[in-house]
Amino acid sequence: MEDKINLSKYVKLWWMMTSMVSQNAFVSRFGAVLFVLGKLIRFVFFLFFLLIIVSRTQAIVGYTLWQVILFYITFNFIDSLAQFFLREVYRFRSYVVTGDFDYFLTKPIPVLFRLLFGGSDVLDIPIMLLSAGFITVALSKIGSISPAEIFIYFALLINGFLIALAFHVFVLSIGILTSEVDNTLWLFRDLTQMGRFPIDIYQNPLRSVITFIIPVGVMVTFPAKAAMGLLSAQSVIFAFIIGIFFLFISYKFWNFSLKRYTSASS
Amino acid sequence: MTISVSHLSKHFQVHQKEPGVIGSLKSLVLRKYETVKAVSDISFKINEGELIGFIGPNGAGKTTTLKCLSGLLYPTNGKISVLGFNPYDRKIEFLKKIALVMGQKNQLWWDLPPIDTFLLNKEIYGIENEKYNIVFEELTKLLDAKDILKVPVKKLSLGQRMKMELMASIIHSPKVLFLDEPTIGLDVLMQKKLREFLKEYNIRFKATIILTSHYMADVEQLCKRVIIINFGKIIFDGQLSNLIEQYAPYKKLSVIFREYVDPKKLDKLGNISNFQYPKLIINVPNKKINSTASSILKNFPVEDITIEDPQIEDIIEKVYTQEDKRKK
Amino acid sequence: MKKYYIIARNTWDEMLTYRVSFVMWRIRNIIQLLTIYFLWQVILPPGKTLLGYSQSLMLTYILGTSLIDSVVLSSRTYAVGEEINSGNLMNFLLRPINYFLYWFSKDIGDKAMNICFSIAELTLIFIILRPPFFIQTNPFYILFFVFSVILSLFIYFFLNFLLGLIGFWSPEVWAPRFIFITLLGFFAGSLFPLDILPKTIYEILRFLPFTYLLYFPLKIYLGQLSFLQIASGLAISIFWTFAIYFIVKATWQKGLKSYTAYGR
Repeated sequence: MEDKINLSKYVKLWWMMTSMVSQNAFVSRFGAVLFVLGKLIRFVFFLFFLLIIVSRTQAIVGYTLWQVILFYITFNFIDSLAQFFLREVYRFRSYVVTGDFDYFLTKPIPVLFRLLFGGSDVLDIPIMLLSAGFITVALSKIGSISPAEIFIYFALLINGFLIALAFHVFVLSIGILTSEVDNTLWLFRDLTQMGRFPIDIYQNPLRSVITFIIPVGVMVTFPAKAAMGLLSAQSVIFAFIIGIFFLFISYKFWNFSLKRYTSASS
Repeated sequence: MTISVSHLSKHFQVHQKEPGVIGSLKSLVLRKYETVKAVSDISFKINEGELIGFIGPNGAGKTTTLKCLSGLLYPTNGKISVLGFNPYDRKIEFLKKIALVMGQKNQLWWDLPPIDTFLLNKEIYGIENEKYNIVFEELTKLLDAKDILKVPVKKLSLGQRMKMELMASIIHSPKVLFLDEPTIGLDVLMQKKLREFLKEYNIRFKATIILTSHYMADVEQLCKRVIIINFGKIIFDGQLSNLIEQYAPYKKLSVIFREYVDPKKLDKLGNISNFQYPKLIINVPNKKINSTASSILKNFPVEDITIEDPQIEDIIEKVYTQEDKRKK
Repeated sequence: MKKYYIIARNTWDEMLTYRVSFVMWRIRNIIQLLTIYFLWQVILPPGKTLLGYSQSLMLTYILGTSLIDSVVLSSRTYAVGEEINSGNLMNFLLRPINYFLYWFSKDIGDKAMNICFSIAELTLIFIILRPPFFIQTNPFYILFFVFSVILSLFIYFFLNFLLGLIGFWSPEVWAPRFIFITLLGFFAGSLFPLDILPKTIYEILRFLPFTYLLYFPLKIYLGQLSFLQIASGLAISIFWTFAIYFIVKATWQKGLKSYTAYGR
């Protein structure tokens, strides 16, 4: 309730923390350049890979080249968006190990906010922008997309980000309980990258698992499908329900873990 | 002669970087180097079985000298001979006979019990089974390590870990042992135990030990001979007792007065180190100690009086400041 | 010598203490493998071929590279960079132990654990998914396959080591490694067999060492190479093995000289 009124305060905090972290990133310019370069290379190479496959086989499960590209770029955009905003989660383990985490608990900022958004890294932006640019290109190339479909596409992108957010909250919660952060985080990344291709390539039961239980499919594939008009209205509503549901239970789980942690001694 | 150092110098080329972004860019293209003379023309000889303390302030060149002696750095100038070897060649026979123990550098495998690292070192140094068992038993006893040998290192306390690091470092019975700040970070009890251990080890294993330290207690307890080094040069090399005689031929007189005393009256007594009623600390030359003490007792209302040897710290400080003055 | 055996065994024990972490790492591996596996299964339904690859050959390729991965690409030598930067390298300079052999022994321990898991995982995949697997029967192909894998092992060991040696000159060890891993992901052949690339690109890749890490051994196994191609490929493999070895050796000497000059 107070949070709503103080939204601008949080935005301001986020902006400050982001600029501090980003300045840090430039301390080693060499490393910064290599990172951005590496991600760029990966992005370009994978696009090239898709190009090769589709050019040789005409289609992947019935999707044309630009449709396949849209799937990949949608994945990439959400992936890099999540990494940009939630970069701080990657540092969580070091906070737990060094004991800095306990300091966070004593500061007048909601711990979750600090842990999620406290370290956005400017270095993630280039890929984000590139993906965004490619999305526009892909959408125009596919053609015959109605404004309504575009709207749903972006709405589902945001929904996808919320699911990613929920995942990260889960990772943090598990991290507090078990000190095991990096592996769960990377597990999440690996599951997400299953969405580089339309999830139609996976057979059931796997497909159902990544649609309903670990909703990677909803996160990444659904938006693209909606843009192509392949998603029924029920599925769209279902997607939003899943998004909100996941966010909700992840938050509940977080509160549970935090209570557990603060009642035990470190 | 076990160790012989002759006109050793070690200079480092350190590149200067200006702060800020411009500085970083500049340093990519043009590097300005400055020569730091860590060690300048030092010479000394050490015999087998000696236990020597290398003391000096931070940055004096102690660690650099140790690293040169153990073969980790190559000298800019001069000659070093340890056990007849040139350390920098790092011949296997040489490495088998020395050990260097530095505080932060760990060699124990973190997730495994120390005994696994010992067994590995046994193979690395080619120790025969019988010899290994004897040394193993002795060290376990000396270090009181029976219960922690099989506990994974990550579960040990700092003190226990350091004991095990030490044991791992000397399990091959080195003839020469270099210790860099061995007692740093340890609590008082552990420091004491470590000193006792080194003393025992020196006697039992006839090892030549060189240690560097800030802590005067280390030097007082262990070393008969000290080498004081500052700004890369040796200021003093000799018996600790000589040091005291040469630089501090006085004793400390601590007086506690029963009633208030006028400070001006005290000036005549001698070199006052500190006066805060009711306590007076005064440095008195050895020859005058008796007369000064009795004079105080006769003329002032004294509650308590004690005579102490000067603190090594004070002596060392004097040595440093004298050198500084001489430099200027 | 016995000390190197102990190092390998200690590494194995060490990995066991990180069971949970390791199992999760293997699970991640399986997920990545399955993603690519299903992709190819869908692109090449039974009966369809792509540049000479049938479904069975392609899936054999993908699963095969996964197995070889645990032999060739499981190496920790990049950690040399951290050891140099932390100053821990000192411990090894003081002891009568060969630094290269030390790391090689560690890698053997690492590979042993990874191979065990990889075999277990692949067995599971076979039971559950029943992929159409191609079994090579020609003993010559198998022999050359094994020989090629051994060379790959050394090529990667030295490459990774070289990467770690960057630590002598820069505290930035992770960033170059990131680029290396990214390139490896495409050019070693774990994502797709390299010969589906356009001819001009493939011809260039043929001379790079990455190609011989995973792609080349599998090609031999699949029996798709002529004797001449195998011979020339092995020749290039051998060339790279020695070339990178000499580069590593020279870099090591140079780095050591500057390390002992500064003495971190």
